[in-house]
Amino acid sequence: MLESVLTISLGAILINNFIFSQFLGCCPFLGCSTKIDTAVGMGIAVTFVMGLSSAICYLVNELLVSLDLGYMSTLAFILVIAVLVQFVEMFLKKSIPSLYTALGIYLPLITTNCAVLGVVLLNVQNNYNFIESVVYGITGGLGFMLAIVLFASVRDRLQFAEYPESFEGFPIALVTAGLLALAFMGFSGMQIG
Amino acid sequence: MTETKKAPNQIVRLALILFVVSAITSGVLGLVNYFTKDIIAMRQEEARAEAYQAVLPYDGEYTSVSFDEEAWETVDAISQAGDEGWVVELTFSGAQGSITAAFGVDPNYAITGASVIDHAETSGLGAKITETDFTDSFIGQTEGMAVTKDGGTIDTITAATISSRAMANAANTAIAAVKALG
Amino acid sequence: MNLKQQFKEGLITNNPVLVQRIGMCSTMAITTSLFNGLGMGLSVLIILTCCNVAISALRKAIPNDIRLAIFVVVIAGFVTIVDLLLQAFIPALSSSLGVFIPLIVVNCIIIGRAEAFCQHEPIGPSFFDGIFQGFGYTVVLVLMCLIRELLGSGTFGTGIFEIVNGALSVSFDGSAAGIRIFPEEFGATILIMPFGGFLTLACLLAAMQYALRKSAEKKERAARAAKVEVVKEAVENA
Repeated sequence: MLESVLTISLGAILINNFIFSQFLGCCPFLGCSTKIDTAVGMGIAVTFVMGLSSAICYLVNELLVSLDLGYMSTLAFILVIAVLVQFVEMFLKKSIPSLYTALGIYLPLITTNCAVLGVVLLNVQNNYNFIESVVYGITGGLGFMLAIVLFASVRDRLQFAEYPESFEGFPIALVTAGLLALAFMGFSGMQIG
Repeated sequence: MTETKKAPNQIVRLALILFVVSAITSGVLGLVNYFTKDIIAMRQEEARAEAYQAVLPYDGEYTSVSFDEEAWETVDAISQAGDEGWVVELTFSGAQGSITAAFGVDPNYAITGASVIDHAETSGLGAKITETDFTDSFIGQTEGMAVTKDGGTIDTITAATISSRAMANAANTAIAAVKALG
Repeated sequence: MNLKQQFKEGLITNNPVLVQRIGMCSTMAITTSLFNGLGMGLSVLIILTCCNVAISALRKAIPNDIRLAIFVVVIAGFVTIVDLLLQAFIPALSSSLGVFIPLIVVNCIIIGRAEAFCQHEPIGPSFFDGIFQGFGYTVVLVLMCLIRELLGSGTFGTGIFEIVNGALSVSFDGSAAGIRIFPEEFGATILIMPFGGFLTLACLLAAMQYALRKSAEKKERAARAAKVEVVKEAVENA
């Protein structure tokens, strides 16, 4: 049990990082990474939603499968996620208003963050049990946070860099992300066990 | 998103509209599922039968054998093909997701063939595990297989060490599981 | 809003990936072979068109407060239908795209078009908007695939084209090996890996920015020249 939890965690954070290896969650990754504070906030919010939705969607999926309604899972998952995000939004607005304003438009967009729906679908595809699903959800979120915080700190320095005019804005950010992905590829040689 | 107070009947109306839309969607989905369910099951069965024939050609019926499911977590099924040997079907994790593959094992515990039934590896890299160039390198191998990168004899696919290694490990598991049948 | 303008918007001036910069996850993730790219692009095109029509038809009945929830339900419905149909009739595509088919639900292109276009426009324009925006997306995907495949493994059209006994054969079950342009050893495998996805998209975006800037400059220059003409004429007349 412990071994599989460890394998899943290392895999989700480093080896198969959601952003750098699976391309899940690129929109908020590129949109919400101009300031480190915002990036940390976004990372925490996404980790929370991913962990919670992994847990709830596991139960929902069990229920659907037992009713022979497995084909409805995508629809059910996205509704669960939408409700959860709404809940997080209400919570943040009341208790941490500064983070709420900083995240702005990207908060409701967590609903359409493919990392969240992606982790839930991958849990089903990989036949994870309840604990493995939750671990994968949380560590996947931590991997997302690691990626977005690293990226935000590198992006900070980009304003002092020189590059062709046409690459200004998004393209240079993508090249930077690509280089980080290259660095993360080094982890793929890691073997556990 | 604004938390304005709404008249109760307004909320009921919203809930009702959402309910109707969801109900119609579910109805349509149920209908599509009803028509595609059998075709999907048939396709999967076909793919499995094809893989079984590819790894261990056999004219008769493959009979499924019971095994210790607790001890062999990755093994989905073991089928006996008369005196020819066994076909072991496994699901294990590759580089991107799980891989389902079948391995043929002869009575001398050597691999007769390998075939990937389903996988989620990157096309152009890990997806090459499905190509015969790779799967043929398993034929005739016995337990203790490893990829060339780890000093073994199974071809390592360029830039897809994890997928290749996963296949080699699965082949070892297949033989071990058959041996454990006794 | 005429058809020609809508077509130009979808393909170039308001291209979903290159200009609106949405739906980038799938653009980078699955563009490793032409089969994947074309399959994904066409799936999105079909789903986008269906959703656009459905949402546009319902636009008067959808209350503003819960419009996003209804959009999501409608989109998830169409995505599941396409997912089931692919599993039944093109299983190779379904297994090769894997989790990215159900993930079309959260592809910002679809919800973005619903929000920005279909909830105000009648069915006709929404239908064409779906086709053209989907076409613009497909073109970018195919372009990415061609670049990554050619430079990465030296082939063209993996999964669709193949040369059998000297003749070109076209198949749609994803098993074709592709046409080899140069030996595999000379390919930059890194382009097929995640890094290649980021880099190729970055270059395409940069090329687009360059082209848009050049055309804007050209227009500006023409406008300035025209203004000078007008002033000259005025001076001459005076």
